[in-house]
Amino acid sequence: MLTYEPDDTLAHRLDPRSKLAVQIGFAIAALAHTTPAGLVASTLLAGAILVTTRVPLWRTLWAYRFALVVLAAGPLVTMVSLGSPWVEPSDGVGPALASYRALLVLLVSAAYVRSTPIRDSRAAIQRTIPGKPGRLLSTGVALVFRFLPVLQRDLRTIRDAMAARLGTERSALERASTIGILGLSRAFTRADRLALAMQARCFSWNPTLPHLSFSRLDVPAFVLASALVLSLLV
Amino acid sequence: MNTENEHESVDLVDGTVVRQFARAALLAALMGAAALVTIPYPLSPAPVTLQVLVVFLAGLYLGPLWGGASIVLYLAAGAAGAPVFSNMTGGPGVLLSEPTAGFLWAFPIGALVVGLVVHRGLTLRDPADVPLPIVVVGLTAGLILIYAGGTSWFAWLIGTSLSEAAVTVAIPFVPADLLKLAAAVVIVRSGTIDTV
Repeated sequence: MLTYEPDDTLAHRLDPRSKLAVQIGFAIAALAHTTPAGLVASTLLAGAILVTTRVPLWRTLWAYRFALVVLAAGPLVTMVSLGSPWVEPSDGVGPALASYRALLVLLVSAAYVRSTPIRDSRAAIQRTIPGKPGRLLSTGVALVFRFLPVLQRDLRTIRDAMAARLGTERSALERASTIGILGLSRAFTRADRLALAMQARCFSWNPTLPHLSFSRLDVPAFVLASALVLSLLV
Repeated sequence: MNTENEHESVDLVDGTVVRQFARAALLAALMGAAALVTIPYPLSPAPVTLQVLVVFLAGLYLGPLWGGASIVLYLAAGAAGAPVFSNMTGGPGVLLSEPTAGFLWAFPIGALVVGLVVHRGLTLRDPADVPLPIVVVGLTAGLILIYAGGTSWFAWLIGTSLSEAAVTVAIPFVPADLLKLAAAVVIVRSGTIDTV
């Protein structure tokens, strides 16, 4: 699974706030420049980020395999039409470029995930947004990152089990409500166990968070992030 | 006195808040996971996901405050880069530039309105005990708000009239969303899920 791994890469030594800035800048730049030339530039930058963070490419792609299926389906579906000429490859070019762009943003977020402990993300949000809302928001965002793959697997298990019992033959309403009931009750069971575990570990409004400080290394990261945002104007 | 050794005492988060908060966070993650569950639907160019159903469930089972907060957490995690939006995208760019981002922005308000109508305030009731017409009115009101947000965003971003925007991004999805509304009613009537 895609998760934080201790290491000594450049990205591991950066402050989480500058990594978030680069992530945001990259997403903005990639969404703004969907031309082939823009995508080549995004690819080179994403490649550089992945290499410096030592993200294992194949393992990451494998972790995102279901996303890849969805990303590949978009362009394929638009190429097919009901009637002559049945398949029109040129229709798929736009969606294919958009899917590829989404994949790049996904891979760059893998670099953030691999190089940043969840506690650091939490500290970064908490130090940017003040008060109790900031505390709940920072912890909550970290929990969403942590539980997203777990609940994706839950939903897949539920759908596989339904398919094995010929659930695919049932009406759309029955399928949607079954997925809803089982998905939500599984999520709430996990949430109640999580709440107990958080209380056992003294979940508090004033935790001692890791000390964050900017170093000289963060300057180029912020310059890169600003440059990416400013590329909107190009 | 040496201030270095002075520590403020631990300010524990109240037990009910922890439970509601954990449920809100997991529901936000479920919202992200639901982006992958698509319904085959001939009328739509984009995949139809179960996400609107999760917005309904947030209002129904977490109430107006935590339900809305849960969807805000979902948007915040997406903005921070989690691949939780449709087609597994993430990052703030989606919230700023996608033509259908208005639906995303309207989701928390939808959950809030469903919660307010069904629970008639901030104290949670078991949705199974709420009269069915009130549940349906709440869900419909939430759905209308979501459509209003999505349609006006599209009209503003693309520069079309509201009716053209509705034809493009709202009306084709009405049957699919009515199906999700019916599914939410079935889930409420099953009475298998408890509130905190």
